[in-house]
Amino acid sequence: MATAEAPATTANAPTTNTGRLARAVSRGPLHVLIIAVCLAWMIPTLGLFVSSFREGSDIATSGWWTALSSPSTLNLENYRQVLFTQGMARSFLNSLIIAVPATLLTILVAALAAYAFSWIEFRGREALFLLVVALLVVPLQLTLIPVLRMYATVGLTGTFTGMWIAHVAYGLPFAVFLLRNFFIALPKDLLESAFLEGASHFTAFWRIVVPLSVPALAALGIFQFLWVWNDLLIALVYLGGSATVAPMTVTISNLVNSFGGAWQLLTAAAFISVTLPLLIFFALQRYFVEGILAGAVKG
Amino acid sequence: MARVLFDHVVKRYGEVRALKDFSLEITDKEFLVLVGPSGCGKSTALRLLAGLEPASEGDILIGERRVNDVPAKDRDIAMVFQSYALYPHMTVAGNIAFGLKLRKLPKDEINRRVKQAAETLGVEQLMERKPGQLSGGQRQRIALARAIVREPAVFLLDEPLSNLDAKLRVNTRAEISKLHKRLGTTFVYVTHDQTEAMTMADRIAVMNAGEIHQVGSPQELYDRPKNVFVAGFIGSPAMNFFKARVDSADGAMDLKGNTFTMRVPRDRAPELQSYIGREMLFGVRPENIHDAQFTPTGINAVPLDVGVEVTELMGNEVFLHVEAGETKLLARVDPRTEAQAGKPTQLAVDLERMHLFDPDSEQALATVGAAAAVA
Repeated sequence: MATAEAPATTANAPTTNTGRLARAVSRGPLHVLIIAVCLAWMIPTLGLFVSSFREGSDIATSGWWTALSSPSTLNLENYRQVLFTQGMARSFLNSLIIAVPATLLTILVAALAAYAFSWIEFRGREALFLLVVALLVVPLQLTLIPVLRMYATVGLTGTFTGMWIAHVAYGLPFAVFLLRNFFIALPKDLLESAFLEGASHFTAFWRIVVPLSVPALAALGIFQFLWVWNDLLIALVYLGGSATVAPMTVTISNLVNSFGGAWQLLTAAAFISVTLPLLIFFALQRYFVEGILAGAVKG
Repeated sequence: MARVLFDHVVKRYGEVRALKDFSLEITDKEFLVLVGPSGCGKSTALRLLAGLEPASEGDILIGERRVNDVPAKDRDIAMVFQSYALYPHMTVAGNIAFGLKLRKLPKDEINRRVKQAAETLGVEQLMERKPGQLSGGQRQRIALARAIVREPAVFLLDEPLSNLDAKLRVNTRAEISKLHKRLGTTFVYVTHDQTEAMTMADRIAVMNAGEIHQVGSPQELYDRPKNVFVAGFIGSPAMNFFKARVDSADGAMDLKGNTFTMRVPRDRAPELQSYIGREMLFGVRPENIHDAQFTPTGINAVPLDVGVEVTELMGNEVFLHVEAGETKLLARVDPRTEAQAGKPTQLAVDLERMHLFDPDSEQALATVGAAAAVA
């Protein structure tokens, strides 16, 4: 967006208006810098994207930019192979089965907890909230072995249920923290007015707090979905290597192992895995930006 | 039936006592205004009555029922908040109907009541809008409509006018008074603005530092304030206070300040008899100090020479900030006055309407209307 806007502003600025010209000149270096940063971020991704349509032998012998001059060499073969012979379609589904409930459950549990931390008076509320925040600093790697042993005892290894529980648990401290800070900034009068009108805590939560917190809930949803979707570590540890339950991250890392230098497949697989997060991000980006800002501005 | 009683109520926040032994009876259908400076405990009293916070000690009764342990929603009250507290994600109709829906009233009944409340406040045309699309005055009306639609036994209003501009505030003041008369329900109204209290209340309770200083009709508080605080709080601009010694001379009574002497009118003299030789605190309202040239007829005022510091033309009157020695006074005089800042002038003080206070306890010893001397 910055690239599109920068020339537009300079073009619109009338040359007769010295004030505007001066401003454009003084902002020029900033625009150049922003464009440079955007390019630096985008070029490797673009390279990966172009490569995903090239033959393996081409990738090994020439740079991706050479393909731009001869677009006829580009084809969908890599995608076909990844999806239909490498089990990526199944993995895509597995990723969805893991990520969607893990996201929704996290939002639901965190919202209920955050409501209690914000609006229900009970003994030890502050201490308990502090404990939740303190959990943010515990590295999840510490928990892998004890949790895995526990999972093995109760038979949760290699199951989606085990993944849902793990992701919800790992996501909760941040989720509760984020939502509590948002909820507590809602005007107290609104809640009190609802209570006076006969609302129970659940009604106040469901009819007042949730509708007013859509930006925060959406932002949290994106965060949590991306985190679960991109997770490799937890999936590897708790699911094991079984292909029937493996999410995409596991399958992609297996591609590297079994094919060594099969670059062309890796690039296509990577792009399949980022499609959904990208779609979600663009669909909800309005909430994403609002959600991050809302807490800061309101508080 | 909807009488309200605070019986020796105390509210503590940790070490701080926001309400100290607060007792007040509000009769059925009364419009009672709690007034006082910020932090005086008036909103706390309202919140205790609403059930938003528990009382630390004492009893709160609505009707004949002790409500200390009754949850807010079961107290049969409605409250209008200073911020209006409209639900921003609901339409106006949704806002007004919210409480009725929670009480699971039949749909027809809800529609009928919402329509009626909207008509009462003249907001029928706004029903499908969201609060964000309304002006401050419109939001205020919706908040009132939401309160009356539930037909509660007691209305609580917490500074409902303080977010409106001055002109709208005057109009809405009158409308709330009309609403009170039409509904015939008990109103408890909290404000820091003594003008609102004076214009709307059947009775006013003046509060400071968690205590009630005086309860009475607006006229009563204006004419016969119980102490210096009430005298200074009620009336705008505020009452002038000055210290002077009571002297008897030639069978009459004089008030002697540092640089001035004023002769007390004959009919107020007996009240001062027992204070001869003592320095007392006196109060005179700005409207009882006149320009000597334009003293209204029928007033037996005593002259006072002063230096004028500032003149403020209000159009229909002029405020003179003057000093007599170290005593600073504010006079509200006829707009034809020739007084100019920096020059001396002569004022006429209507001592028949003076108030006398004990300088130590600050309690009133004599007020306007000698019969009403306060204990």
